Formats: sequence, C-alpha cells, structure tokens
Amino acid sequence: MASSTGELKKLSLEDLANVEVVSVSRHPQRLSEAASAIQVITAEQIRRSGATSIPEALRLADNLDVARKNSHDWAITARGFNTALANKLLVLIDGRSVYTPLFSGVYWDVQNYPLADIERIEVISGPGGTQWGANAVNGVINIISRHARDTQGGYVELAAGDQLEDQIVARYGASISPTVNFRVYAQHFDRGSEVLSDGRDAHDSWDQAQGGFRLDAEPTARSTLTLQGDYYGGSDDLVRADTAKVDGGNVLGRWSHAIPGGSDFSLQVYYARTHLLDPVPAFVINGNTLATAGFLTDDLDTLDADFQYRFILDERNRVQWGVSYRHTRDDVSNAPALAFLPPHLDQDLYSGFVQDEIALTDKLTATVGSKLEHNDYTGLEFEPSARLQWRVADNQMLWAAVSRAVRSPSRVDRDLSQPGPASPLQILTGSAQFVSETVIARELGYRAQFSDKLTLSAAAFYNDYEHVRSTNITPVTFLPFFFQNNLKGQTHGLELTADWQAADNWRLHAGFDPLREHLHVKPGQFDLNAALNETADPRERASLRSSLDLPHRLEFDAALRWTASRDINNGTTIGTVPAYCDMDLRLGWHLRENVELSVTGQNLLHDHRAQYGFPGPSQVDIQRSVYGKLAWRF
Amino acid sequence: MAFLMKHTWLAAVFSTLLFTMLPCGMLCSPQARAAALQEYQVKAVFLFNFTQFVEWPPAASPNTAEPIFICILGEDPFGAYLEDAIRDEHVDNRTLAVRRLSTADDAQACRILFISRSESARVETILQHVKPLPALTVSDARGFGERGGMVGFVTEDNRVRLRINLEAARAAGLTISSKLLRVADVVANQGASR
Repeated sequence: MASSTGELKKLSLEDLANVEVVSVSRHPQRLSEAASAIQVITAEQIRRSGATSIPEALRLADNLDVARKNSHDWAITARGFNTALANKLLVLIDGRSVYTPLFSGVYWDVQNYPLADIERIEVISGPGGTQWGANAVNGVINIISRHARDTQGGYVELAAGDQLEDQIVARYGASISPTVNFRVYAQHFDRGSEVLSDGRDAHDSWDQAQGGFRLDAEPTARSTLTLQGDYYGGSDDLVRADTAKVDGGNVLGRWSHAIPGGSDFSLQVYYARTHLLDPVPAFVINGNTLATAGFLTDDLDTLDADFQYRFILDERNRVQWGVSYRHTRDDVSNAPALAFLPPHLDQDLYSGFVQDEIALTDKLTATVGSKLEHNDYTGLEFEPSARLQWRVADNQMLWAAVSRAVRSPSRVDRDLSQPGPASPLQILTGSAQFVSETVIARELGYRAQFSDKLTLSAAAFYNDYEHVRSTNITPVTFLPFFFQNNLKGQTHGLELTADWQAADNWRLHAGFDPLREHLHVKPGQFDLNAALNETADPRERASLRSSLDLPHRLEFDAALRWTASRDINNGTTIGTVPAYCDMDLRLGWHLRENVELSVTGQNLLHDHRAQYGFPGPSQVDIQRSVYGKLAWRF
Repeated sequence: MAFLMKHTWLAAVFSTLLFTMLPCGMLCSPQARAAALQEYQVKAVFLFNFTQFVEWPPAASPNTAEPIFICILGEDPFGAYLEDAIRDEHVDNRTLAVRRLSTADDAQACRILFISRSESARVETILQHVKPLPALTVSDARGFGERGGMVGFVTEDNRVRLRINLEAARAAGLTISSKLLRVADVVANQGASR
C-alpha cells in the first residue's frame, strides 16, 4: 500500500487526475471491462439524441443492432442472432437482470425508466459469462440510474407528438440528512399505432404508467446503501390480435463497503415480479382449427442474492470473487394454441466466480477467471475467460481476450407445446434433451485518444458456436417438430468507432459494424429450417452523428444510420427487409438554465418503412414521427 | 464431444497468452498498475501535492518549530492513506503532519483543511468560521467550489478531478500555481448571486 502511494506521488498532476479510482459511492467498475468492447452511452448523449425510450437510447451504441418491430416491440442484439427469439444478450437495470426465462430474451416494452434519471448505459459486446453468467453470450447491457444525490429537486417533462402522443415524467428528490438522499418518480405515456405496409393502421398502440423510488445512504464514509423499487402497468395492442396486459415491479437493496487496504464487498438482494396476459390466436393449419384462440398468462417471481468481494492479494494480484443464488417461480396459465409444460416451474440457479487481475508488467495486465454455474436444466456450466490489456502508450491500449459463454435452455427450448396438450396434434415442442448453446469467442481490440480531439476504437471478434438450436422431425410420425442442438458455426466481425471534436462546439461520431455469419447443420444431423432460422442480421451497419452547440443557447443534433438488408426467414422461406437509411434530428433551446424546449423528428427519411419482420401481413412499418418536449428543473 | 471442446478451448487460451505476452518487457510506466486504486488514496496524494503547488502568506502557521498541518474535519475517510502520502516529506524544511479535528475552532494551525463529506450540510457555516484563516479549504462535499470552498474534489468517470474557486483562494491570500490550475476546472461562487 505504501509503495503504491509512493508511485502515485511520482505522477504528474495530469497523470494523477487520470488515475482510475474505485469510488465507494459509485457502482464499481468491473475489473476486465477495460479489456473488452465496451461502449458507454452518457446521460448527455441520451438527452441530445431525443430518445424517448431505452431501446431508442441504445441506438447510440454502435455495437448493438437495434430494430423496431412495431410500436412496442424491439429486436436488439450484439454480434448477430437477432431473431424474434433473440436470446444471447444479458440486460441489467441497476444490477437486476431483466431477461425472461420464457425464451431468454427481453420484453423491451416493459423496460422503462425516466431517461433523465439514467446516469449511463454500458454496452459490452462479446461474452460476459465469467462475471455475469449464462445468457451473457454475445453482450451485456448495464443500465445504471443516477445516484439519488444527483437528482435533487423537482423535474417535470412534458412531451407530445404524433407517435409519442403524450408523455409526462415527474420526479422529486431531496435530502433527509447530508448522507441520506432519495427520489421518487412517476411517468405515463400513450404511444400511437404504426402502419402495415399498405398504410393501414397496424393496431399496435400502447400505454404504460410507472412509478418508483431510489434511496441512497452513506451510513459511514466507507459504506453505501441503496434501496430502490419500481412498479409499472400498461397495455399493448397486438397486431392482428387483441390487447396484451402487462404489469410488474421490483425492489432492490445493495450494501457496499470498503475496507481499508483496498478491499471492498457488496451484497445485493432483489425481488422482482412480472405479469403478462397475452392473447393467443387460434392455431389453424390448412383450414383445420387445431386449437381455438385464448389467453396465455405468465407470472414470474424472481428472488436473487449476490455477494461480491474484491481484495488486493499482493503487489501484482487483484482478486474478485462472488457467489450468487437465484430462485425463479414461473407460473403459466396455458392458452389452447400455446403451452408450456409443466405450467408451473420452480428453478434454482447457483453460481460462483473468481477472477484475478494480474499486473504482469507496468504496461501489461492479464485478467483470468471463471464462473461456475448450476442450473436445473443442464447442471454445471463453466464460463472461463482470459483477457490481456496492453497499454501501448499513455493514450493507446491494445487488448485481447478468449472466453467461453453458454446460453442455457429457456422454457421455449424445453417446455414448449404448440398447440397445447388438448390439441389432437402438436406441431412444435421443446425437448428434454435440449442442452446449452456454447460459444468460444476470440477478440482483439484497440483504443486510442489523440490530442483530446480524436478517439478511435476498434474491436474484432471470431466466435465459434456449438449446439445452436435446430428443429428436428419425429421419426415415423413426422410430427411434432422439436428443438435440438444440431447447428454449429462461426461468426466474425468488426466494431469500429471514431469520435472527433471538430470544433469547441461541434462533435462528430462515426461507427461501422460489419458482421459475417456461417451457421450450418452438423455433419450427419438434420435441421428442418436448414440453419436459416437462428440469424436475422444485416451484414453491415453504419452510423454518423453530429452534435452542434449554436449561439443563443441552441443545440442541434443529427443522427444518420444505415442498415444493410436483413434476411429474416420463416422456415426455409427466405424473407428480406431491404437495406435502409434513416435519420433523426433534434433542435433544443435552453430558454433558461433550468428550462429546455426541444423538437425531435425520428425516422425522417421515409413516410413509413419496415425495420424488421418477415414480409407478410404482420410486418409493421415504422412511420416518420415528430414530438415536442418541455423539460423543467426546479 | 464435450471433452474435445474443452480441450480446444484451453489450447486457444494458451496460444493467445503466449502470443500477446511477447511484445511487452521494454515498455513500462506506473500508469497501468495504478488502475483501480482507492478513491481516497488518490485524494491523499492530491492533498500532499497541494503543499507543493500552493503558496501561503507568511502569516500561515508561523511557528516554525511545529510541523505543517493537514487537518481533517469530520469523519476521516483516509485511514492510513494520508499519513502514507506525507511520510518523510518536508516543506520549507518542516515536516508534515495530519491532525484530525472535531470542530472548526481547532483549525487555527492548519495549512490545508479537508472537510469530510460527513459535514456536507454544514459546509457554509464551517467556511464562514475559517474565513479569516490562511488555510486551503478542500472537500469532496457536493458543489464545494461553488459553495465558496477553494478546492473541490469531484469524481467523474472514476477519476478524481479538481474544481478550484480562485476567488475564494485569493481572498485568503493564497496563490495557486498555474500547474495545478491546468488540471482543474475553475469555478465561481454561486452563493453570491442567489
């Protein structure tokens, strides 16, 4: 300890101001993040983008493919596999995992938070299984809300437009004592329908109300306590079906404590519940109704406890370990046309991980570790990784990583029955033999900052997938089709970004993300869909953004994004969403220091256009839209 | 099948490690190892640096028999870091020492007064109290520089940054070196206009 203080004293003031610290009062940065393809979306970027929802804000991370399916649904992935059942991305809001065990994907319509109270969003593409566990296969999104200390006073936001019909956000924060701060918030929005390709109403409007709180306390100078919770409820009109009802809530507590000498630990416990009522259309094949229309309801309760400890082993080694436990209780009431068997399922997930950050030399740091996880479907899974970070110069870093991650089975893979058991015939079912999909990812990255004006980052990856989902036919009877793990293959790609401060008042950003995917059926095996159903990705994406400060307290932002054509297949029928370019513009005016007016236009280059979906009667076009907003702090 | 896969994985890890470790060796600075240090370890070193980059009027701690004091008012967040930072250091041939205060009344002999976050609510009162003293007031309480303090620590992007209120420092007769100002944001009193 004394010697590292000695080393700090030798640094120039400039270097000292650039030393990375673990702050007791903030979410500690994970050890290996620096040596990964991380892109951070800041609160200011979100504000200036004019985003009205978390998925829209995620467009600011070039390493994500973000496509809007309809008014309330989104397809979001990193590094490919962006199908309707996309399942390789882990999303956390303040440390709470939000994927659904039904299909291991994310219901984006119920992941809302007042954007003004989001501190930052960290998007890490590439496996994060060593720290985060199963499902962090191709990426991890960490949405981090602001500390209650930073949201003091009142805030009201009113927005109205054509797609975002109306939105109101209200927040109030205060200090109970100098070390205890809190905020409460409430928000509500109504969003209009999009259209079908022929211009008719798509019947997909929706509305949602949400409220919540966050309390942060520092009982001593070395410990912090956070208690937070949210509750939401709303309804989503479904294209070619009735209306879905959603509600849910969560409460989370976290205690972090720093021990003199460089150790710290954190204990986090949360409980979350979600309720979904989904109308399911009748199952009709060749004019025969196998199952009538009905409703599927899903009630999911999650209890999660996580403990992490970090300590400095010696001069060279910083060690982090953790254990966690999660219990989920999923209670489905099945629809005639769609069922999960058993309807009621209790599952336990145990995991532990250890990771060592080793300073090999002053310039070279290695991080090695593994997670060991036990789930009820497949038993023990291990997710090791080795990362190397090389500081080539003060302003340049090279990193390399090899990691293994798994996507453990979801209920769709194991328990699906379509139609339900009452039907004389099942068409598609899950399989008790379905095992985890695995990936071994090799990554290489470079980050550089030149003269405060130009920042570059590049990441390359080569992923090797095994046991990817396929669909097989039952011998002799042909039906039902059932899921198996008969695909394997490779993907590779690049993630390139450049940020340039062109002038004091003008910032430019560019990103380019090519991706190649080669999935195939394992030799001697079979897939009904000929390896065409697990990917739905553009081969290239590009973005250009400009952020300009104008006189008279005006600000003007523009974002141009281009997506190459996307093949979305239905069985062996290839469907294509053609390549497209679209643009968002925002003009903001700070009327006073605490009052801001803005007008934002989204998807401006087309009247309406599909971003996603198999071409057909359910494919929805996203319309050009405009809204105005008033934000007032007091 | 599963065994083969694990085997390939291990081989890949080793080959990558070997490959990327080669170019190292010749390039070394303390930067990398300083990654992820404790916040207060860095702040302690800043406090020591202030003794080098700030000029006090001759009236400050005139008793040359005494050490030069860095004082902490309120809950001590530094542990041993501050003692580590000033050990064996001298300013004007005088040793440095840490003094922990329970009230602002004891701040007479302090060249640097660090006001702990535990005193956040009373910052204005404390500053009023120590105004006549030629002490450099430092704190990581929120908005310290804007509230009339001289040097505020702000943690941004996991880095410790400085917010310096020049006006407040000048009023106490202190001169802050341009080297220090170069790495700081200069802020002004907000209290005056409200």
